[in-house]
Amino acid sequence: MNMRTMQPETKQVDHISFVKPQIFDVTQHVKLLWMKEVPNDTVRLDLFFDAGITRGNKSIPAIVHSLLLSGTKEFSSVEIHEKIDALGGFLDTDISFENAVVSIYCLREHIRQISNIVADAIQGLAFRETEVEDVLRSMRQQFAVNQQKVKYVAQQQFRKYLFASNADYSTISEESDYDEPAVLAYKKYWREHYLEGLTRITLVGDLEVDEVDALIDLFGKWAVDGKVQHAGDFKFQAQRIDFPKNDAVQCAVRMGRFLFPKSHPDYIDFQVLNTILGDYFGSRLMSNIREDKGYTYGIGSGVMDMNKTGYFVIVTEVGKEVLDLTLHEIKFELERLQNELVSDDELDLVKNYMLGQLLKSADGPYAMLDMYNSVDMYGLTLEFYDDAIQKIKEISPARVQELARQYLNFEDFLIITAG
Amino acid sequence: MIAFNRFKLENGLTVLHHFDPTTPMAVVNTLYDVGARDESEEKTGFAHLFEHLMFGGSVNIPDFDSPLQRAGGESNAFTSNDITNYYDVLPVQNIETALWLESDRMLSLAFTPKSLEVQRNVVIEEFKQRYLNQPYGDVWLELRPLAYKKHPYKWATIGKNIQHIEDATMDDVKAFFKAHYHPANAILCIAGNISLEETRRLVDKWYGDIPASLKPERILPKEPVQKEYRELTIERKVPSDAFYYCFKMPERKSFEYYVTDIISDALGREKSSRLYSGLKKELKLVTSINAYITGSMDEGLLIIDGKLSDGVSFEELDAALWPLLEVIKKDLMSEAETSKLLNKIRTVKEFQEQGLLNRAMNLCMYELLGDANGVNEENNLYQSITAQQMKVVANQLFKKENTSLLRVKSIKE
Repeated sequence: MNMRTMQPETKQVDHISFVKPQIFDVTQHVKLLWMKEVPNDTVRLDLFFDAGITRGNKSIPAIVHSLLLSGTKEFSSVEIHEKIDALGGFLDTDISFENAVVSIYCLREHIRQISNIVADAIQGLAFRETEVEDVLRSMRQQFAVNQQKVKYVAQQQFRKYLFASNADYSTISEESDYDEPAVLAYKKYWREHYLEGLTRITLVGDLEVDEVDALIDLFGKWAVDGKVQHAGDFKFQAQRIDFPKNDAVQCAVRMGRFLFPKSHPDYIDFQVLNTILGDYFGSRLMSNIREDKGYTYGIGSGVMDMNKTGYFVIVTEVGKEVLDLTLHEIKFELERLQNELVSDDELDLVKNYMLGQLLKSADGPYAMLDMYNSVDMYGLTLEFYDDAIQKIKEISPARVQELARQYLNFEDFLIITAG
Repeated sequence: MIAFNRFKLENGLTVLHHFDPTTPMAVVNTLYDVGARDESEEKTGFAHLFEHLMFGGSVNIPDFDSPLQRAGGESNAFTSNDITNYYDVLPVQNIETALWLESDRMLSLAFTPKSLEVQRNVVIEEFKQRYLNQPYGDVWLELRPLAYKKHPYKWATIGKNIQHIEDATMDDVKAFFKAHYHPANAILCIAGNISLEETRRLVDKWYGDIPASLKPERILPKEPVQKEYRELTIERKVPSDAFYYCFKMPERKSFEYYVTDIISDALGREKSSRLYSGLKKELKLVTSINAYITGSMDEGLLIIDGKLSDGVSFEELDAALWPLLEVIKKDLMSEAETSKLLNKIRTVKEFQEQGLLNRAMNLCMYELLGDANGVNEENNLYQSITAQQMKVVANQLFKKENTSLLRVKSIKE
C-alpha cells in the first residue's frame, strides 16, 4: 500500500503546562505580572491605562494617546525618542475599546533607563503647541485616508450601531475632532486617565527582583484609585445598513451580535462553534465562500472580549457584485449549523486544531504572559484553560447545534456593509 | 546564536535542522528558490498564483489543510519577487504529518481544474483588496516599472496585469511546477525538540524518493545602470499628495547592502531619525515620512516615502529633502548616531531570535544566500560598519541620476 495516501499517526495534545507569572501588588487594585524565565536578554514592559477610546468623546482618548511622548518642558519629542533609540529601545502604543497600552521593548541592561525616560515624558507632558498641531495634522490626514477604506468604514459604523445605546461606546471619530486643539480637555484627560489611570503592569524579562520593585515605585504613582467601572448591558437593533461607496471594487462586511463575557459558562463551547464556522483556514465560511466560490480573499469570525460583555462578529471583504450572494451563503452556513449535526470527523479535527493552537499560545514566556493576562484581566485564573481543554475534548455535536440555535440566528444580527 | 545542522539528500534537497528542546511546537519551513522575478513578462503573477495552488491538494492527498489541522497545526506561505516560502507550525509529536504533506506537494500537485478556477478568483479578489480598493494601494504597480526598465523587478508579485492571472492555463501551471518545484530548488528546515537522527530518518522516508531535477539556471535580464533622473506624477482620488523617492541600491549579497540598510534607518526609521525630525517636526512639510529598503536579492531600492502636509507642494518638499541627503553624503556620521542605529539593530536581532518560526525562516533565507550560518554573523557585520563606509555608500546612492520619483497627486472625488 502506498504510504503517501495515509496520514501518519497523530496524537491529540493532552497536556499543556501553563506557567503562572509572579504577581506583585502595586496597590489593592493594580498588579504587576512578571514572567522571569526568559532565555535571552529581551525585556517587554507593558503599562495598561484606563484610557481606551470609550473613555472620552471628540477623539480625545486617541489624541492624548498620540501625544504621550510628545515632549516635556525640558525635552522635545525628538529628544525623548533620541534618548530611547540611543539605548536601542522600541516603544509601542496601542489603544482599544477599554484600554490604552504603552509598551517598551529593549534589552535588559536598558530597561531601567528607558523606563525612567518614559515615566518622565508622560509625567511631564507639556502639550507643546507645535507638537499638538503636528499630531492633529497627522491624525486628520490619517482620518481622511481611513474614510476611503471600506474596511475601516464598516468597522466604525458597526461599532456605532452595535453600541447605539451607550454614547461613550458608540461615538466614532469625526473630521472636526482634529480642527481646533482642545488643550484644556486634553490635559484633564491626561491627568485623570494616565497620571491616575494605571490599571496594570506586565513584564517579561530576566531581571532581578529589586529592578522589578524599582519599576513598581516608578510607575505605581499612577495607579487608579479604586476599581475601574465598565459599561455593559448594551442594546442594539438587528438590521442591515449599507454605506455605499461608488468607486469601490469590493464591499466590506461586518455582522454580529452581543454575546457574553469571558466568564460565561457557554464561552468555551461557543469558541468551538465559532472555530467551526469561521475561525480557521478550513472553517465553513472559508471553505464555502473562499475555497469553493472564490468570492473573497478572506472571511472569518471571532469573539471580541470586553469587561462586562463580549460580541460575535463575522468580517470579510468581497467583490461588490457578489455581496448579496455572500450574505446568502453566510446565512446558509449559519442555518446549516442549526439544522444539521456537525460530523464527528469535522468536530474531531476542530478539537485537535484548537488544542494545538492552545499549546502554541502557551509556548514561551511572552506568549504565556499574554495568555495569563487575557484571563486575569477579566478576573479569571489559569483554571480557565484547564477547563477549556476539558470542554473542548468533551463537546458533542448536539451541544454545538444547541449553541448555534441559541446564538447564531441571522435575524438577530446587525449587518453593516460598506462599498 | 542559532545552532543548526545541515545535510543534503541525493536528489539535491538541502535540509537544515535546528534543535530546540524548550518548545512543544515544531516548525517545518520550506523555501523554494522561485519568485516573481522568475516569471516571463507575458505571464506575471504566476509565482504567487502558484503559491495558492499549492494548498489545493497534491498527487496523493486531496486536501492540504485538513490533515494538518487534524494534527493540531496550521500553515501559511508568502511569495516575494525573489522567493516562495511555506511553513507549518504544529505540536512536535505530530511533525510527521507536516513532512508527509510537504513532501507530497513537492512530489507533484493534483492539478484539478476546480482548484485553478477558484484560486484564480481568490487571487483576483486579493488584487482588488490590496491594490485597487485601498487608497495609495496601486503605487507599487506604478513604482516598479518606473525604477526598473529591464529587470523583472519591474512587476509586482501580484502581477503587472490582472489579465495575466485570468488567462492562466493548466499547462502554464504544470510547466511552472516542473521547472521550479523539486528538491534541488528547495531548502527545508526542521526546527523543534527533535533529534538530528530522527530528522534524518523522517526526511529520508518522505523526501528520499522524490525524483531529482536540475536546478534551473537563472538568467535574468540585467538592469542597465540608471543614468537619468526619472519622475512620474499620477492622479488619484486620495486625500493627500504622496511621494515615493526610489534610489537603486546594491544587491543582497554585498556588504554595501548592510550599509544601505543602516543609512535608511538613519534617515527615516524612527521618530528621532533625520527626515522625521527635519521634515515633519521642524519644517512641518509632511505628515508622515519613512525610509526603508526593499531587501531584494538583486539590485534593490532604498525608498523614502511619505505624505505632504496640506498646502505644501512637491517642489517645496524636494527643495528641503535634497539638502538633508547632502548632509549624509558630506559629513561623517557622529559616533552617537552610529551607536544608536547599531543598538537598535542588536535589540531587533535579539527579539527576532525569540520565535522558532523566525529562526527556521532565517536559516533557510541565509542558506539561500550561501550559508545558513550567515544568520549568526549578521549582527557582527552590522556592528563593523564605519561612518566612513556610510559616507561612501551615501554618495553612491543619493545622486539625482540614481533617483526615480513617483508623485501621487490628490484629486477630489
